[in-house]
Amino acid sequence: MIRRAVAVGVSVGIAAMVVGTSVAMHAQSPAQPQSWPRMEMPAPLTAHPVPFPPYQIRTLPNGLQVLVVLHHEEPSVSFRLLVRAGAAQEPSGKPGVASFAATLLDQGTTTKSAEQIADAIDAAGGEIATGSDNELAYVNGAVLKDRADLALGLAADIAEHPAFAAEEIDRQRKQALSSLEVSYDDPSYLASAVFDRIVFGLHPYGRPNEGTQESIAKLTRDDLVAFHRTWFAPNNALLAIVGDLTTDEAFAAADRAFGSWPRKDVPSPTSVEPPAPARRLVIVDRPGSAQTEIRVGQLSIARTSPDYLPFDLAVHVLGGEGANRLFGVLRTDRGLTYGAEAELHAYRTSGELVADTNTRSPQTGEVLRLIVEEIARLKDEPVDPRELRGAKDYIEGSFPITIETPSNIALLVLNQLFYGLDLKDLQTFPQRVDRVSVADLQRVANLYLKPDALTIVLVGDASAFADELKALGFGEADRIPLADLDLGSPTLRRPTSGPRPLPQPLRPR
Amino acid sequence: MAVCVSVAAAPTSVPRPTPFDYTMFTLDNGLRAVCLEDHSTPIVHLAVWYHVGSKDEKPGRTGFAHLFEHLMFKGSKNVGPDQHPSLITSIGGQSNAFTDEDTTVFWETVPAQYLPEVLWLEADRMASLDVSDEKFKTEREVVKEERRMRFENVPYGTLSEIIDDKAFSTHPYKHQTIGTMADLDAATIDEVRAFHDTYYVPNDATIALVGDFDTAQARDLITRYLGPVPKGKPVPRDIPAEPPHTAEERDTVTEPWPLPAVVVSYHITYDGHPDSYPLHVLDKILTDGDSSRLYRDLVYEKQMAVAAFGEAKLIENPNLFYAVAIVQPGHKPEDVLQELETTIDRVKTDGVTPDELNRAKRQFARDYVFGRDTDQEKALQLAHAVVIHNDIKTADGEFDLFQNVTAADVQRVARTYFTPESRMLLTILPRAVAPARSGGGK
Repeated sequence: MIRRAVAVGVSVGIAAMVVGTSVAMHAQSPAQPQSWPRMEMPAPLTAHPVPFPPYQIRTLPNGLQVLVVLHHEEPSVSFRLLVRAGAAQEPSGKPGVASFAATLLDQGTTTKSAEQIADAIDAAGGEIATGSDNELAYVNGAVLKDRADLALGLAADIAEHPAFAAEEIDRQRKQALSSLEVSYDDPSYLASAVFDRIVFGLHPYGRPNEGTQESIAKLTRDDLVAFHRTWFAPNNALLAIVGDLTTDEAFAAADRAFGSWPRKDVPSPTSVEPPAPARRLVIVDRPGSAQTEIRVGQLSIARTSPDYLPFDLAVHVLGGEGANRLFGVLRTDRGLTYGAEAELHAYRTSGELVADTNTRSPQTGEVLRLIVEEIARLKDEPVDPRELRGAKDYIEGSFPITIETPSNIALLVLNQLFYGLDLKDLQTFPQRVDRVSVADLQRVANLYLKPDALTIVLVGDASAFADELKALGFGEADRIPLADLDLGSPTLRRPTSGPRPLPQPLRPR
Repeated sequence: MAVCVSVAAAPTSVPRPTPFDYTMFTLDNGLRAVCLEDHSTPIVHLAVWYHVGSKDEKPGRTGFAHLFEHLMFKGSKNVGPDQHPSLITSIGGQSNAFTDEDTTVFWETVPAQYLPEVLWLEADRMASLDVSDEKFKTEREVVKEERRMRFENVPYGTLSEIIDDKAFSTHPYKHQTIGTMADLDAATIDEVRAFHDTYYVPNDATIALVGDFDTAQARDLITRYLGPVPKGKPVPRDIPAEPPHTAEERDTVTEPWPLPAVVVSYHITYDGHPDSYPLHVLDKILTDGDSSRLYRDLVYEKQMAVAAFGEAKLIENPNLFYAVAIVQPGHKPEDVLQELETTIDRVKTDGVTPDELNRAKRQFARDYVFGRDTDQEKALQLAHAVVIHNDIKTADGEFDLFQNVTAADVQRVARTYFTPESRMLLTILPRAVAPARSGGGK
């Protein structure tokens, strides 16, 4: 059978389903089939120890760190090139330049047209994807083994020598502006984008990665070239190669493709500090919405914080696998939503805690009340030891699943390298999780959670819930009609209200 | 490096996926089981496929198969409501389920030592599901939220609902797996019990077990836990066929979406029909990658579309080939629709090039090879072969069928299926700019 992701999926399923701790046995109803016996759950078979799988790291003379994970089951090779060239590296006046540059990488190099690149990778039976996020740009690829050199060569060429040709900039700018037009009608996109903007303020993590229509319209070829010239360097990048090669073949292939990329001096990114947490309630009014998209949270800790592990566990209790209080309260008990979760988004210099759900418009106030209550309860009360056990059991127990594929193994190692964390931590992860106590959770929850200074973003039909929010004691909301929303503005509003004009792209010089 | 690689290697040199070394057997109660050992990681994946999906639903009860899928987590004789997922996460495992037009699939991936537990959990809910009316009603609200979230509150979320509703007259592929709000509201707890008795029986189930186990031991465990589940009655397969379409359909509707969309669709055949293989190849040539015809022509060269995508939807009963273009501002929807239709129709007159054919075959090899990455993906391939093709050998055997497709085959199926009578041309305009009288009938 052949199945591949398509834009119009119709298969439906239940999202990561985790229930709260109240799993006491349920009283059997009289309708119970009598013939099926009462039984105890069977005991497990003998478990085997699960060490972290082998991997190799070498640094090429030009400074490119190369990670290799071998896997010989299928004749395939995949790779990831990560360059520290994301939103965090953007000049402050150029939001979206990292993402726009990444989009243009495979749209032509100094020696190959965009069409030649697409023809080459497709004919090889391969795939190459480029993009960026808060902290990095990437060039990812997957290919049948016999075309590994070709795919790596293409990846190196597009990372090192993008042409940023005027006609391709024009074409991709038009695409980006139209895509944003669609995104601005997607409540989930808007809720997350507005939330990030408020929590991180003018810090780069608060910018929409894909820019805004205004910022994309203003970007010039010079901006793209300057961004690429400053940040794309082998000594500012990591490469992982995974698959059906020998170690020597993989490192030799990396050297053939990337060895001639010249090292250069790379500056340190600079940026403003995110604002201190403060109470904000913003409604983006989108009349006619079937649901309200809800985001509740606050500024939080960086990935490199020594408290990362206990705080991540606390967030798991609130809304992650193994305990998820929000899922229990909102979905299992009340049927108020399809999915509810809380996540810690921890980056290099800062992070955010965000609880994320959606509900039918009339239930918005009730759902918001329950979420805020759960965040306050996590700060005020020690977690039940069984809840912590549940979260720990999940995290420790799932370790063998997290190392099932060589790509995932590579991601775990890349993550340590990217954030400058100790590689030895990979071996000791289950033990470190196990050592976290109820008191540790209580300490970090009390230290970091600010229930009185939460950022709340609601995208939906304000007429269905705005009055109720006041009655529930949430106070006045900052209510922004969707047509006035400007993610690039400090006030989140366009300077003058009125219908939003589609900005005309500037011609690149 | 030169880029003259477009003359791809001959199909014979395409790397082949590693064949599955599986064991298959059937229990006395009719349950079919496929086991595939994979000792690379100490985990096991269990998938239970029930051969029932939204095409088995009756008018007025759309969405029931999927609603029922949710209820399978609401308790059985030895497992409390919502206890199943918490038991799985407490051993570090993952579990979930999905429903499509033809099947409902429940799965768990767990550390290998917990194989007895997952078999026991699946047996318990197959044999003794016990859902209270209160749990049923709460879960129905969850499913309605799912419909709002996935379909109603996102731009283009109801696109497939619109296409299928207009393209089909009779076959239940006309409706979406999620169902309608009205039908969800109309469902009752008695129907839940009847549905379980009819379809959730071992003679309608296939399990695929992949991972770190010994097959002889696994067979013993499967027999011990699932063998005692009582066999059910023969499962009804009374699905109304779609009558042949005799005239092209054209329609224009409005939706509150930001940019217009245009659609071309054709009725095609089913998964496993000899024509399905060249149709898959044709799908790749038209839609897979930046060198595919739809992207190259509509998005890249003419810049008429923000996105252009499509699919030969080959499933258990005949479905559709459809292609969609989201219209780039500044272009007229009718021009984009014309271009989309012309691009697809050109295969009928001009065929496909050797480069395109070779590219598609390597893309198939890639899908095969990368589609066997995880235990879960392997179980999906095996169970699909058993349930949909009723022939497990197709899991590996289709590879050669794809590699042997010729350019003449591709042109022949384009001429066979891409006929004016089978065609639907649909324009979906944003409400703000739609003509006042649009949305009318055909």
